[in-house]
Amino acid sequence: MTFTKKRKQRMSILIAVMVIMALLAGCGGGSGNSAQKANGEDDKSQKVQLQFYMLGDAPKDLSTIEAEINKLAEKDLNATVKFNYTTWTDWDQKYKLLLSSGQPIDLIFTADWTQYQAYAKKGAFLPLDDLLPKASPALQKFVPQDMWDGVKIGGKIYTVPGTYKEYVTNGFVWREDLREKYNLPKPTDIKSYEAYMDGIRQHEPNMKTVSLNSDIKGNLHDRYTELVTKSVGALPYGIGIKYEKPTEVYKYWGSDEQKEELNTYKRWADKGFIPKNVLNVKDTLQDQVTSGKAASIFGDNPTRFNDMVIKLKASHPDWKLEYYPFPLTTGYATPVHPIHNGFAIPKSSPNPARALAFYEKLVTDKRYNLLTQYGIEGKNYEVKDGYYHMIGSGSSNGFSREGMNSWAWRNPEYMLFDSGFDRVKKIFAELDKIQKPDLFTGFAEDYTTYQAEKAALEQVEKQYLYPLQAGLIDNVDQGLQTFLQKANQAGLEKIQTEYTKQWEAYVKEKGIK
Amino acid sequence: MAIKEDVYTRIFKIISYVIIIIASIACLLPFLLIISASLTSNESIIRDGYHFIPQQFSLEGYRTVFTFPEEVLRAYGVTIFTTVVGTTLGLFLMTMAGYVLARKDFKYRNAFSFYIYFTTLFGGGLVPWYIMLTKYLGLLDTYTVLIFPGLMTPFLIILMKNFIRSSMPEELFESAKIDGAGDFKIYYRIVLPLSTPGIATVGLFLALAYWNDWFSSSLFINDPHKYQLQYYLYNVINSMQFIAQMGAGTGVSLSNDMPTESTKMAMAIVVTGPILLLYPFIQRYFVKGLTIGAVKG
Repeated sequence: MTFTKKRKQRMSILIAVMVIMALLAGCGGGSGNSAQKANGEDDKSQKVQLQFYMLGDAPKDLSTIEAEINKLAEKDLNATVKFNYTTWTDWDQKYKLLLSSGQPIDLIFTADWTQYQAYAKKGAFLPLDDLLPKASPALQKFVPQDMWDGVKIGGKIYTVPGTYKEYVTNGFVWREDLREKYNLPKPTDIKSYEAYMDGIRQHEPNMKTVSLNSDIKGNLHDRYTELVTKSVGALPYGIGIKYEKPTEVYKYWGSDEQKEELNTYKRWADKGFIPKNVLNVKDTLQDQVTSGKAASIFGDNPTRFNDMVIKLKASHPDWKLEYYPFPLTTGYATPVHPIHNGFAIPKSSPNPARALAFYEKLVTDKRYNLLTQYGIEGKNYEVKDGYYHMIGSGSSNGFSREGMNSWAWRNPEYMLFDSGFDRVKKIFAELDKIQKPDLFTGFAEDYTTYQAEKAALEQVEKQYLYPLQAGLIDNVDQGLQTFLQKANQAGLEKIQTEYTKQWEAYVKEKGIK
Repeated sequence: MAIKEDVYTRIFKIISYVIIIIASIACLLPFLLIISASLTSNESIIRDGYHFIPQQFSLEGYRTVFTFPEEVLRAYGVTIFTTVVGTTLGLFLMTMAGYVLARKDFKYRNAFSFYIYFTTLFGGGLVPWYIMLTKYLGLLDTYTVLIFPGLMTPFLIILMKNFIRSSMPEELFESAKIDGAGDFKIYYRIVLPLSTPGIATVGLFLALAYWNDWFSSSLFINDPHKYQLQYYLYNVINSMQFIAQMGAGTGVSLSNDMPTESTKMAMAIVVTGPILLLYPFIQRYFVKGLTIGAVKG
């Protein structure tokens, strides 16, 4: 008796374990299903699920929006779509894995900062030239031809560019109430900015004059070259190219221009504008201003300036922020390059034609577009006097404005703005008058031949250049000499020669003069 | 009458007390700082930095965390589920493997042992591993992927094998066989009860590995509902850093309310708190399992 009872028990445990294992094994999801006929035609009678990959964190109400979209898409295209997010945490690693693993993905976000050019060059995406007129003629017409030309890499289109025109050029941000109180000059260039900071230092000794954090290169150097040396963009490896003379490549590192730049930082550090522990500061530039810790930002773009103003309006209505865009000083403004926001179809996509057809709907169909940009009307947002109004607050509303990180399929015709955004539109209108095309972003660097030197140089920069840029080195000339010497040992010469060659080829191909 | 301590013992005691006190302060202070920061208003953290006593008391951080408590709770649920299921299954598989490899009459044990040992020396690397799990096993976005890769660890299998071999003589199996027991019965009735210290040790390693795991979520999970606790926390804290580094130059405007410093700290407390409270009660089992394992194995 006892024997059989024990045996039963034992068997039941074994069975339980097996069931669990079977369950676990069964959890595996199905992989991509293709409705592509042998001749490449899209068979619309076959239902497919599209895999859509985006960067960042998913909004809380994503599942309800997805369900609504799927209702529409099932009727129109016999397809459903699954929105996947990478999170901001390890997005670059994950992005690389998604593209290199051959996983079935139908649409993926691209931008200059996700290395669209490099991936396109390496063949990660599907060329769209032949597919566009067949699968999405309306989309092809909707995007202007010069934008299609702008995203071409090696003569082929690999991404669908976003058509909303915006400027992410930088500008001074400062506390206007303090400036008025102490009668300080308006920052418009380095000199007046320094005078403003001098005044703040004098009258508000406990305040940081400028908001900085550990990303010194981004906070100071990139802003400086945009404003003072009028560089075509944030160039790497000490390369210098001026916007007025894009065909002339020179060595910025070691030039008098750079010496002047470094001396400026040294002076700022001596005056106490740059704190000694700056390389350890982790706070964001914006937080430091909105909390009243710092009195200015050396450079920020109009949209983010606007975000700060809105934030301050709620917490410190008596403070005033003011903005001066760099382009008004430099004389030209470059709207974002078409590459800046886009969606590509990876090589691994089982249903490229259907994916394009769906994307066309997202951009051109008002129902799809509003749903994915702003959520459900009446639940997530409402429209008052033509302005966008969020219902509830950011923490209680599950889908804020552009909460899906849907920057790439904004449609200027349907776009809704917060009333505070008028400020940005005003700045944009001003910049429109002096706009010139962005020359730099279409350039695709290929660093395979100098990968080792590049890695070595990055180390040298961190060790010898950053302290110089933070004004921490007493003898600037000597510090620069040491840095250049180390950089040359790391193979600077080879990198610069190779980069120059590639740039010259690019300029020739695009006919830039 | 108690035996009088000699001077050296007393000096030793004093030194060890001092060291332990310093060490525990070093462990406690950062934690106190987090508690204090979680109770400070965010502005005050940015303006004045971290203090042991909140400069401006505020419960804002906790309020934000608990606006959507289900997110944290769900992450808790996922981690508890993977830890329990993973540890149970893993223990089952590893004791089986250890037992089989310990039996001298298993003809291919050397070949199998070498195969297992070999994987500790050479691995395929991240990309092939990713392709294997997503493309061929189709495990993307499943709970399985959180459990499956950690089930069998070569090191733990070898540990288990050595433990069984050293604590159970071959003759034991022989005599059991003579008494009419089959292989499963020997495993179930003799090997398992005799290897409890080994199971405790291996189980502890496994459970900790599952509890602390964030990497699997980071690679294989797209659905935020399936994030493990550690990854959930890691992600909340890191997304802020991304904005600081990337946002300015790219014009990426993140309309969602980003977690503030005090929210991050409150989150850390909410996430680690329960385990801290639980730990004193289960700690003695851990200690017992480890010491027995150490002495015998």
